Amino acid sequence: MKSYSFKGGVHPPERKDATKALPIERAMPSTRAVWIPITQGGAPNRPIVQVGDAVARGQRIAEADAFMSVPVHASVAGVVKKIETHLVAGNVDAPCVVIEADGSDRTEFMPPLDPFICTREESLARVRAAGIVGMGGAAFPAHVKLAPPKGTKIDYLIANGAECEPYLTIDERTMRESAAKVVDGVAIAMHLTGAQNGIVALEDNKADLVPVIEAAIAAQRCNPVGPGACAISVALCKTKYPQGGEKMLIKALTKREVPAGGLPSGAGCVVQNVGTLKAISEAFREGKPLIDRAFTVSGGACESPRNLEAPIGTLVGDLIPEIVQLAPGVKKIISGGPMMGIAMRDASFPIQKNTSGVLFLTERETALVDESPCIRCGRCISVCSCLLSPVLIVQALKAGNLDEAKRCGLLDCVECGTCAYVCPARVKLVQRFRVGKQLVREERDRAAARAAQKGAN
Amino acid sequence: MSDLPKSGVYLSPAPHLSVYPTARHVMAIVVLTLLPIAGYGVYLFGLPALVTILVSVASAVACEALFRLATRQDVRVGDLSAVITGLLLALVLPPATPPAMTALGAAFGIVVAKEFFGGLGANVFNPALSGRAFLLASFATPLTTWSVPRMLAAPDAVSAATTLSYLKPAEGGVHSAFEVASLAGYSSRGELYWKMFLGERAGCVGESAIFLIVLAFAFLALARVIDWRAPVAMVLTAVAVCWAAGIDPALTVLSGGLLFGAVFMATDYATSPVTPMGRLLFGAGAGLITALVRVFGGFPEGVMFSILIMNSVVPFLDRAIPRKYGYARARKGATK
Repeated sequence: MKSYSFKGGVHPPERKDATKALPIERAMPSTRAVWIPITQGGAPNRPIVQVGDAVARGQRIAEADAFMSVPVHASVAGVVKKIETHLVAGNVDAPCVVIEADGSDRTEFMPPLDPFICTREESLARVRAAGIVGMGGAAFPAHVKLAPPKGTKIDYLIANGAECEPYLTIDERTMRESAAKVVDGVAIAMHLTGAQNGIVALEDNKADLVPVIEAAIAAQRCNPVGPGACAISVALCKTKYPQGGEKMLIKALTKREVPAGGLPSGAGCVVQNVGTLKAISEAFREGKPLIDRAFTVSGGACESPRNLEAPIGTLVGDLIPEIVQLAPGVKKIISGGPMMGIAMRDASFPIQKNTSGVLFLTERETALVDESPCIRCGRCISVCSCLLSPVLIVQALKAGNLDEAKRCGLLDCVECGTCAYVCPARVKLVQRFRVGKQLVREERDRAAARAAQKGAN
Repeated sequence: MSDLPKSGVYLSPAPHLSVYPTARHVMAIVVLTLLPIAGYGVYLFGLPALVTILVSVASAVACEALFRLATRQDVRVGDLSAVITGLLLALVLPPATPPAMTALGAAFGIVVAKEFFGGLGANVFNPALSGRAFLLASFATPLTTWSVPRMLAAPDAVSAATTLSYLKPAEGGVHSAFEVASLAGYSSRGELYWKMFLGERAGCVGESAIFLIVLAFAFLALARVIDWRAPVAMVLTAVAVCWAAGIDPALTVLSGGLLFGAVFMATDYATSPVTPMGRLLFGAGAGLITALVRVFGGFPEGVMFSILIMNSVVPFLDRAIPRKYGYARARKGATK
């Protein structure tokens, strides 16, 4: 089978062996309480429950009217104890609804909906009502991705199962254990977007999954559910970071590029993480909103690496030590993968819709070397997955020249961290690009304000 | 262990992995590839070459440390870049350069060409070549007095002519490879090439060991320590232009400091471009200037001048950035 790829990228150690063979286990927090952030992707929500309310599993607890917003649901049945700010992924404090489970399994799911019979509007409304966001990490509202701008034709629906982040094995386990749901999700998304081709994309370190997914595709074909649901295939991509990046995956599989500043739909593609597609399938077939999240717990300082599924809002700290045991010497706690994840100040943060992993890293396996002066070796240019010139962007930002920084690709950077990973001087490149992008936004706002003022005068 | 790791946890931006060599490792690799070349130079030219190397490295390191101490900056000789500068300077000096001059050249290269510009990574001109240019301008005679390598040495021989100096006859034009071979005392062109390949000729400490330089290039390029573009473009351009002027291509490559300069000077991180196209242009420009000096110039060799001149246009060459993702001219299968 051919392996597709893109130009650039790196080969970080995979370190997936600790968890790749372990089935996903159901886990509940020891405190029986969950801290559910009221906004998890999309525009800000407001809570619609009050302290003291009894809630059922699957009941809506926070929402907003904006198209870009996605509601949040209770992940356990119980009583709302508090609505308070709490540490969340991203190392910030954000409002959370605290629900104490009452041990019952009262559920309040939506009625099942046949995606191949209902209208497109009904389908998109269902995806939104189920609170589905991109589960690969970006938490972008799924219903927005599935409704590309008018006039764009979608040719490919790509199921992203590349999982290029080291340590993480949760997409792999999801595909192995729920291949039928993933493939069903692909068929639904193809029907919604009008894509004629569905591709389940894997890195070739997961080649043994191909027969599993092909069997699920064959089963789907035996039971035709609608037009276009048959042209699904599996494609292997080279095991290379950041193969799972939307732009890289599209380039590797279709040779097309997402236009600068544009959306994947501009290249005729819609990319969804395999976990997201499974959630979409469940939202239609079972009426189940996105209230459970599967994730990998791993890292050198984790004595019990495993794949878990917990109610959204479960504090990672509440899984310790009953389910997750730690070794001494935790130097970094990471929400997400080691290449793009966020270092947390402690483990007391809730599992969110986009939490693909939690890592406990030792000093030996993480990067704790201080920044030194750039030696201009140019490695960052040769590995950049977007073909940018990181060293020149940093140089331009240092000189306060935003225009030059933009010319060298500041706004095209996807912050994959490949440049910083190879940098011999350990320059915090990604961090500087984030600051630079913020400067560009501020400048844009100032310009807009000036223009507005001019118009008013 | 039951409690959460509350303290001693580090916060820093992603990525949280980096296993590639640090700047110091990169420098150490370059030092290690330079050592065989330096060793061969000592074998060829004896004790004076060893003294030149030791004095150059020691004063480069000492000058950097002293300057940074005096200006209250952190001393970072541990990054080994001063060791490289010292080694490179020694390898492009005549073996019998008086030690005081060598030390002065290293001091100029480190203090004026490197630290005055902000130190590691911030300098515009190659420190080793700046030091050499300074010495050539100050002490022309010692800097053009060449020792005889051991296998050619007659008991009383003290100085010799370089192959390049045979190239341009007093009456103008250039000599053919055969004429050069006979002037240098060889019976055939083949023997001349072979002897030059082995480094049995007068010249700078490090430039003679052609076969070691080629090996070092292959190793450094395969290990991705240096980029192949600048050296290859420089040698090809120099050969092409010299060939057009009637100079034997093999002689162009084998004589003077072309290969050494292309591999170790045109690839100096701080003073060469970072973009692939910039590196090609840098190499081509350096090769062109080298050839022009060799064919028309008052000096027999132009490698040093060519690289220093190209150093000054690096910021301009760095404007040639690669095509960015998403900026393709015309997309195949476009649906617009």
